[in-house]
Amino acid sequence: MGKDLDMKVNVLPVLTYNFLHVNDSTIRVDDPETVGIKGKRPDTLPEGVLLNESISFEKAGEIFRINKDKISGNNSEMAGPNGDNSKRDSDQAVRTGMGCDIDNLMISLNVPTDVYTVKEGVKVKTPIVLKYDLDDGERILSSQVICAEKNSEITVIMTYDSDKSSHGFCGISTRLFAMEGARINLIKVQTLGDRFVHFDDIGGLGLVNSSIDLVTLELGGCRVYSSAYIYLSGKETTLSSNMGYLVRGDHFLDINYVADQRGRKTNAAMNFKGVLMDKAEKTFRGTLDFKAGSSGSVGDEQEDALLLGEDVVNRTMPVILCQEEDVEGRHGATIGQLSDELLFYMQTRGFDEQEAKRIMIKARLESVARMIPDPAVMQKTQYYIQNII
Amino acid sequence: MGENKNVVADIDRSLYDFKDVESEKDFYRLQEGLTKETVLKVSEEKNDPDWMRDFRLKCLELYNKIDIPSWGPSIDGLDMDKISSYVRHKSEMKGKWEDVPEDIKNTFERLGIPQAERESLAGVGAQYDSELVYHNVKDEVAAQGVVYTDLESAIRGEYADMIRSHFMKLVPPTDHKFAALHGAVWSGGSFVYVPKGVKVDIPLQSYFRLNAAGAGQFEHTLIIVDEGADLHFIEGCSAPKYNVANLHAGCVELYVAKNARLRYSTIENWSKNMYNLNTKRAVVEENGIMEWVSGSFGSHTSYLYPMTILKGDNSKMEFTGITFAGKGQNLDTGAKVVHIGERTSSHISTKSISKDGGIGTYRSSVIIQSTAKKAKASVSCDSLMLDSISRADTIPGMDIRTSDADVGHEAKIGRISDEAIFYLMSRGISEEDAKAMIVSGFANPVSKELPLEYAVEMNNLIKLEMSGNG
Amino acid sequence: MSEASLLQVNDLSVSIDNELPILHNINLDIKPGETHVLMGPNGAGKSTLGFALMGNPHYCVTGGNIVFDGEDITDISADKRSKAGMFLSFQNPYEVPGISLSSFIRNAYHNQTGKPVKLLAFQKSLRAAMELLSMDESYADRDLNVGFSGGEKKKAEILQLLMLGPKFAILDETDSGLDVDAVRTVSKGIEEYQKKKDGALLIITHSTKILESLHVDYTHVLVKGRIVHTGDGTLVDEINANGFEKFVKED
Repeated sequence: MGKDLDMKVNVLPVLTYNFLHVNDSTIRVDDPETVGIKGKRPDTLPEGVLLNESISFEKAGEIFRINKDKISGNNSEMAGPNGDNSKRDSDQAVRTGMGCDIDNLMISLNVPTDVYTVKEGVKVKTPIVLKYDLDDGERILSSQVICAEKNSEITVIMTYDSDKSSHGFCGISTRLFAMEGARINLIKVQTLGDRFVHFDDIGGLGLVNSSIDLVTLELGGCRVYSSAYIYLSGKETTLSSNMGYLVRGDHFLDINYVADQRGRKTNAAMNFKGVLMDKAEKTFRGTLDFKAGSSGSVGDEQEDALLLGEDVVNRTMPVILCQEEDVEGRHGATIGQLSDELLFYMQTRGFDEQEAKRIMIKARLESVARMIPDPAVMQKTQYYIQNII
Repeated sequence: MGENKNVVADIDRSLYDFKDVESEKDFYRLQEGLTKETVLKVSEEKNDPDWMRDFRLKCLELYNKIDIPSWGPSIDGLDMDKISSYVRHKSEMKGKWEDVPEDIKNTFERLGIPQAERESLAGVGAQYDSELVYHNVKDEVAAQGVVYTDLESAIRGEYADMIRSHFMKLVPPTDHKFAALHGAVWSGGSFVYVPKGVKVDIPLQSYFRLNAAGAGQFEHTLIIVDEGADLHFIEGCSAPKYNVANLHAGCVELYVAKNARLRYSTIENWSKNMYNLNTKRAVVEENGIMEWVSGSFGSHTSYLYPMTILKGDNSKMEFTGITFAGKGQNLDTGAKVVHIGERTSSHISTKSISKDGGIGTYRSSVIIQSTAKKAKASVSCDSLMLDSISRADTIPGMDIRTSDADVGHEAKIGRISDEAIFYLMSRGISEEDAKAMIVSGFANPVSKELPLEYAVEMNNLIKLEMSGNG
Repeated sequence: MSEASLLQVNDLSVSIDNELPILHNINLDIKPGETHVLMGPNGAGKSTLGFALMGNPHYCVTGGNIVFDGEDITDISADKRSKAGMFLSFQNPYEVPGISLSSFIRNAYHNQTGKPVKLLAFQKSLRAAMELLSMDESYADRDLNVGFSGGEKKKAEILQLLMLGPKFAILDETDSGLDVDAVRTVSKGIEEYQKKKDGALLIITHSTKILESLHVDYTHVLVKGRIVHTGDGTLVDEINANGFEKFVKED
C-alpha cells in the first residue's frame, strides 16, 4: 500500500490575498504506485511525422532545455511583480500550467513519453487522433511531447472518455514545441465519467513566427484540473486558446492559464466560456504576462461564466502583468445568469426560461465544439453535449 | 486660464519637503522600537482608560505572532526597531489657529490648510506627527449636533460608550500584522458623529503631517454617520522627505447607517520614504451609500485597499481611485468589497500610471456571498505605462457564491498612443505638455470627483510627476 | 363590432421597473389582418408599448389590461404570448454565438407547433424566405446575429416573422439604420407576411420610409406616453409632410 499523494498545482504567477483561496490548488492522487500508464498511439502515422515511443519524461524534455536560450527577454535585473511566485516552477524543462509537481509525479512513476516530431516544412493535413477510452475504475497517466520543426504544421486531437457513472483517474501531460514558423493545433475533449479525477497539464514554447492553437472542452469528471503555460518567445508568435466547460453537481474545475509574452509583436487571445450548475465550483486563473522585450504585443483574455445553480462557487482571477510600455492588454469577464434582455428575446420567440437556458448552455459549448477539426470527433462531442443538457 | 497656468508652473516639491529641523528640541519623542514598555508608555501618555491599555497589550501580542503578508511589496526597508511610534510637540491641542505653536503653524500655513478651511470647509483637524494639534468646527455645523473632535478626548467623554463599541470592531487587530501594530500604539486621529437626518453640506477635513524623521504615525479615524445623515470627509496627508524610513499605519473605520451617505476622499502625498500600510474599512447598512475617492501619489511603499462591507439590503458602494507610481515607488493599491445584503451594488473604477521605474499594482477582491441575491458588481481598471523600465500589474480577484448576481470586470493596460501625441503636437503643443495633458485626461474621472481645490492640487501633482521632479 | 378583435388594449398604463411611468391609458383595438402604425417623436414611449405588449418583465403594467385572441394575457410571460401567436421584432436583436440562425428558427418553430419539423420542407421554405429578403444562403449557418450588419440583423428578424407566421406582429423600428435598398427588401418581407398569413401588424416607427409600399389601416400618434390622435393611412402622409408639431401642441 502506497501513500496518497497531495500535490500543489496551478500556482498563480503572483500571490494575492490568502482569503481568496486562489493562490494555488491541491490535487490528490490516491495510492500513486498503483496508477497505470497508457501510451495511446494513432493507428497510422502521417508521412513526415516521427514517433519516438516511450522516452523517459526527463529525456523527452531535453529538447526544451537545449533551446532555453531561445526564450528571449530573460531580463532578470528588472523588478518582478509584487508577490512574484514564478521562481517556483522555473526548473521545469518547459513550464506547464500545473507546475513542477506534475513533472515530479511523472518522473517518480517512470511515466514514459511519446515524442512526435514533425519534420521541417511538412504540413500534415489529417489530424493525429489519440483516443483514451477508459474503463470503470481505470487509473492512468500519460505523457506526450509534440515537436513541430521549422515551418511544419500538425494537428493533434486527444479525447478522454468513459461511461457516465464510471470512476477513475486520468492524468495527462502534453508539452509542445513550435519551432520557427511552425504551427501546432492541439485539441482536447474530455467527457469522462462522473467520478473521474482528471488533470490535463500543457506546457508550450513557441519560437519566431510560430503559432499554438488550443481547443479544450472539459465536460465530464468530478475533479478536473486544466492548465497551460505557453511561452510566446519569438517575434510574432501567436497563441489562441479556447476553452468550453460544463461543471455540474458538486463537481470541481480548476484552471490556470498563462501566456508568457516575451517576443516582439506577439499575440495571445484566450477565451473561456462555460456553465456552472447545481453546486458546482470553479476557479479560473488567467494571466497575460508582458515581459520586457514584448513591445508591440497584444493580449486579450475573456471569460464568460454562466451561473445556473443557486449554490455555485465561482472564483475568477484575471491577472495582467506588464513590464513593457508598448503593449495592449485587455481582460474582460462577464459572470452571472442569463441577462434579462436575452431571456426576453428568447421568450418572444416562444422559448420558456428552461428552454432558453438549455439553448444557451448548448450554444456556449457548441461554439467551442465546432472548432474541432475532425468531423467524427466533433459530431460525437456535439451528440454528447446534446444528451447531457 | 493664464492664472491657472502660473500655479502649475510654480509648483515644486519643496512645498512638501520643507522641514523644521531646528525645532526638534520642542518635541517629546518616544524611544525607537516596539516593546511592552513602549506600548505602556504610549498608553500612559494618552491617559488611556483601562480597557484601552489592556487592548493595546493584546494587540502587541498579536503583532508579534502575525507574519507579514506574503503577497505584497517588500517591506524589508522598514525596521521596526528604528521607528519611533510616538512623537508629540510639547504643547496641548488648540481650538484656535492663533494658539497653535508657530513652527507647526508655519508648516500648515505653507500647505495652505487654514486657508482651505476659511474658504470651503465645515471643520478642520490637523495632526502633526502623533498628535492632533488643532481642531475646529464651524458653529453652524456644531449647532446641527455634528461632533468632530480628537478621538482621545472623545474616548473619555460623552461618547465613550459609542467609541468603545465601535473602536477596532470593523478592523479587528487580528486582521493583519499592521492592524495589530496600530491597535498597540495608535495615537491621535478624529472622531466624527453625524446625528440622524443631519446633512452636512460642506466637507469636513482632516490633515495629517508627519514631520519627524524615523517616526511612525498611527492615527485612528472613527466616523459614524447615523440614519439618513450625509457627510463628506476629506483626508490629506503629507510629509517631508528624510533618508530614513517613516511608517504610517493608520486605521479608518466608517459606519454608514440606514439611508445614510458618506463620501470619503483622500489625497495622499506622503514623502517617498514613507511606508504607508493603512487600513480603511466601511460597513454600510440598508439603503446606505459609501463613496470613496482616493488619490495615491506619495509614499515609498503602499498597501492600500479600502474595504466596504455592503451589509444592508440595497446598500451601495462606489470607489474611484488613481495611483501614480514614479521613481522608487512601489504602490500596491486597490479596493475590496463584500456583498452580503440583497440588491447591493458596487462599482470600482481605478486608473494607474507607472513611470520612471515605479511599480503600480492594482489589487482587489470582490466577494459576493450567497445571501446577496440580485447583487451587481462591476470593476474597471485601466493602467498606463509611460516607459519600459516601470511595471503595471493588475491582480483582481472575484469570488461569487450565488447565481443570482451580475458581475462584470474590465481591465486594460496600454500606453499613450503616438497618434494622440502627434495630434496635439500638430496643434503646437510641446511633447511634454502633450503627454501631461493626456495623463490628466486619463485621470479626469478621478479629479472630477474631487472638490475644486483638491482637483487642482491633484493636477499639480500629476504635472509634477510628469516633469520628473516628483 | 362586425369582427372579433385580435388584440385589445384597454386603458393600459406602464412604468419601467415600477418607478418611471411611461405610458398612460393606452387603448388599441386591432382586428385580424389589420395594419396599424404607431408614430411619435423620440422618447414618446413607442418601444415601451412594444415591450409591454410582448411582456418584458422590466415594463410593469400599472393599470389596464391586454386581451389577445379573447384571452387576458396581461400577466403571462413572453414565451406564452409568443406561443399564443404574438411576435416582436427587436430594434437591437441579440447576438448568440454557438447557435446558427437556421437551427434557432427550427427550434423556435418546433416549440410553437410542438410537432417534429420536417427537415426538407423546412429548409425549402427557409431558403425561399431568405431569397425574398435577398439574404445570402450562408447566413442560415452563421451564428444568430453574430457579426451581422445592422441590415442583416433586421432581415433576420423579418425572416423569423415569415417562418414563425404569428397572428400578430409588432415591428419595432425595423427600418432604423437601413439604407434605401434594405428598407425596400424589408418592406417586401412585411408585405409577404400581410398577404400570406393574413397577419395583423403594429408597426412602430418614427419615420415613414418603410410605410411607402405598405397598406396601412390605422395610424396612431403617441406623444408623451399618450395616444393623442388616431387616423387612417393618410395620416402617415400628413406627418411625413408636417411632422409631429401639430400633435405635440395639441397635447
